[in-house]
Amino acid sequence: MTATANGTDAARDIVVIEDLHKSFGNVEVLKGIDLAVAAGEAVVIVGSSGSGKSTCLRCINRLEEPTRGRIIVGGQEITGRKVDLNALRRRIGMVFQGINLYPHMTALGNVTLAMRKVAGLSRAEADEKARHYLDLVGLAHKADSYPAQLSGGQQQRVGIARAMALEPQVMLFDEPTSALDPELVGEVLNVMVRTKQLGMTMIVVTHEMQFAREVADRVVFMDGGKVLDVGTPHEILVEPRHQRIRDFINRTRT
Amino acid sequence: MDAILRYFFDFSRLSGYWPDILHGFLITVEMSILTVAIGIPLGLLLAVLRLYGIRPLSALIIFYIDLFRSIPQLVLIILAYFALPYTGLVLSPFLATVVALSMVLSAFAEEIFWAGITSVPKGQWEAGRSTGLSFNQTLVYVVLPQAIRLGIPPLTNRAIGISKGTTLGSVIAVPELLNVTSSIQSNVANPTALTVGAILFLALFLPFVRFTRWLERAYGHPRH
Repeated sequence: MTATANGTDAARDIVVIEDLHKSFGNVEVLKGIDLAVAAGEAVVIVGSSGSGKSTCLRCINRLEEPTRGRIIVGGQEITGRKVDLNALRRRIGMVFQGINLYPHMTALGNVTLAMRKVAGLSRAEADEKARHYLDLVGLAHKADSYPAQLSGGQQQRVGIARAMALEPQVMLFDEPTSALDPELVGEVLNVMVRTKQLGMTMIVVTHEMQFAREVADRVVFMDGGKVLDVGTPHEILVEPRHQRIRDFINRTRT
Repeated sequence: MDAILRYFFDFSRLSGYWPDILHGFLITVEMSILTVAIGIPLGLLLAVLRLYGIRPLSALIIFYIDLFRSIPQLVLIILAYFALPYTGLVLSPFLATVVALSMVLSAFAEEIFWAGITSVPKGQWEAGRSTGLSFNQTLVYVVLPQAIRLGIPPLTNRAIGISKGTTLGSVIAVPELLNVTSSIQSNVANPTALTVGAILFLALFLPFVRFTRWLERAYGHPRH
């Protein structure tokens, strides 16, 4: 199922990142990232805080503007000035560490907003589809609840439904469980596993090593703004080739 | 006690003046509504324009709001009535008062809306934009509803405070409630008219205060 460790297969790759650089002022956060993600693949990016994982992810839908390099999503280059950002972002779902549900809208309202305003669905069509995706994350019965009436885990599952409902080509997860109580992490990870089973292409930044081991097709280890190693979960997390990764694994294993 | 009743509650002295009082009251109501109806949307418009970050425009808006927040309303009303004609713009006393007060309210409202918009977390913008909503769509559907809700309590206070400034129109002879009732007081040499004025101001602004309290609740979303 998976592509070769760092190989690119232009026909099947949904996301291709080439020589991606990003600087904030004088600080270079990304120092040349190359990565290709195939259709249906789940790639988990791990690494210490400040290694550039989230920034890399946020460049893919241009919430961060890359300083240099190319990113191709679904065969279309998304870096450059002429790109229709809104059309691009519709094809790329994103789930945030901060969840970022709209507090003034119900769960259903959160999921349907972009379906109606961006995808142009009627309210009835959007509602029906949104209920389907809320059902997928196990929250059909919470459609009319406001975010403040939901637990953190439920909120994040609505966040996943909101992104999935636009039927994107790839889903980006930016530390989706980092803000949650430990007891609520499992339900969100379960939904992510289901997302993977549906064949969704996923790029996940997380500190959940067990999730990386069990769900990832490939694991990317980032260190100091570079990709230090890419491989199967076993190659990266169980028998790492690099001392740097071994140190990291030992520190995260508690 | 008897003296108080005789001086302040001698309604018999007002016979014949009631139509004037009613007319003054209606003018006060009209000016208050116009001030709010112009000042608040204008403030929202200015806050949104400032959000686009076009430097000269933002600088102009900031100059505008600083100016109108600093100059006393009375001075503005007098300027609008007596100074504007020299630029070729002649306003009736009624309009001069409404224009001056609306501008003051718009300046305060801009600051309130601006504070509301900037206190909506950045993640809300990112969530909206990440689903393909444009900047304007995210502003309208995601950010403004939250910003306006945050702004309602301070906006309410300002709107009431500045609407009460309609009484200042009396200095340029707007026949509003205070002007009418204080004229009657001089004519009949009895301040009962002012008592009636006070009651009518209460009748006007108390429902206003109540209405905005209701708004605050209606715009709130359920919280734990």
